[in-house]
Amino acid sequence: MEPPKIWREKRQKYLALGISCKKCGKRSFPLSEYCPYCGTNDVEEYRLAETGKILYFTNVSMTSDEMAFNAPYCLGIIELNDGIKVTGQIIDCDYKDLRKGMEVKMVFRILARDGHEGLIKYGFKFTSM
Amino acid sequence: MNKVGIVSYGSYIPQYRISVEEIAHIWGEDATELKNQLQVPKKSVLGLDEDVVTMAVESARNAVNLWDGEPKLIGAIYVGSESHPYAVKPTATIVSEALPTGKEIMAADLEFACKAGTAGMQMCFGLVKSDMINYGLAIGSDDSQAKPSDPLEYTAGAGSAAILIGSEGIIAELEGTYSVTSDTPDFWRREGATYPSHGQRFTGKPAYFQHSIDATKGIMNQLQTNPSDYDYVVFHQPNTKFPLSVAKMLGFTKEQVELSLVCRHIGNTYSASSMLGLNRILEKASSGERILMTSYGSGAGSDSFSFVVTDKIEKLQSYPFDIEYYIKRTKDIDYGLYTRYKGLLK
Repeated sequence: MEPPKIWREKRQKYLALGISCKKCGKRSFPLSEYCPYCGTNDVEEYRLAETGKILYFTNVSMTSDEMAFNAPYCLGIIELNDGIKVTGQIIDCDYKDLRKGMEVKMVFRILARDGHEGLIKYGFKFTSM
Repeated sequence: MNKVGIVSYGSYIPQYRISVEEIAHIWGEDATELKNQLQVPKKSVLGLDEDVVTMAVESARNAVNLWDGEPKLIGAIYVGSESHPYAVKPTATIVSEALPTGKEIMAADLEFACKAGTAGMQMCFGLVKSDMINYGLAIGSDDSQAKPSDPLEYTAGAGSAAILIGSEGIIAELEGTYSVTSDTPDFWRREGATYPSHGQRFTGKPAYFQHSIDATKGIMNQLQTNPSDYDYVVFHQPNTKFPLSVAKMLGFTKEQVELSLVCRHIGNTYSASSMLGLNRILEKASSGERILMTSYGSGAGSDSFSFVVTDKIEKLQSYPFDIEYYIKRTKDIDYGLYTRYKGLLK
């Protein structure tokens, strides 16, 4: 894990930041200088809703070395209560217990770990409420 | 002088639990005798993607969410722990960005065994009282370390407590704080060592008990109070027996100390231990009630605090993610999973 990448992404990962377009009014994720809907750069940061529901989910067992400590893990597409859809790990639960529509909330967890001596990457994941 | 006190509080406890029976089975010990001695039937265990940083952030966010204020008003963050994930790179900076506070903030990680969190509280009280900051956040967060088969393994849990300190919107006003410190080699971990060592029975009488008693007597002498003046008392909780014993030695009743004994449910959370006990009292206390808190950190020292609860407490007592929520949210694991979750397999 390269320090500049972790540094650049930290606010988006820690705070779940997307953008809100001042021109068309739509919100999106991830952070960008441009609105993906109308193309304007007249956008401002927007903090995503912290709760939502599971739309889809799967189990991931083959991962990069930096995420192997956590494997296998559940990955889902979550529809947040502000309407934005994000992909994230669903943790503290068994795959067999997951259901579509299950309510989840954001929590702060370790995303990746570069061995025993490298950097630790933190950010948001989801847990059932 | 300005009034100063606690303005909000937050807690976090991971959901995994391992029982004394499960650990005792591995090492051929008598679980019934251990439970009678320690009075800690289960302890909390971190998940695979949790550490001191993630727990500190969760407890800090709970404190800020409960509070009627903006995190950008916080002028200092101190995180006490003996299990920071980095030897060099602060936990406090990550907590600051994850709240988020502003960049103009004092921040540091502290280490004084199990009382590093309350040392942070004292620093915040001093900074607020001297008008150097408006609000300060003190956190105690630990993934308590214990060598496999060591007696500590039965109680070394995980958790975090955050205390937000200020002079506006006080829910528990500080009456005074008092500390004792001495060079006492009761518990230590050398640089590079994986697990702490301890002086067996020496951790009791000349260490935990002497410092807890001296600090508690010291603050009561300073404020001209006695045990019957307090509704609640909190001590550091290496197990459940020690705080009950020291309370009795000092003349407090079992009822005064009982509510604080989070240890009964999750074990010894090191830097978070006495602060989680205080948070549990804040969740239940009423206006006008008085709280005495004494932490203990090996090495050794104790910090005592005396608080009077104000009428603003009620607004901060209806929060879904309180200690009771985390105590009830449990998932039992066996020793095999425990070795993976604790990183015992190298």
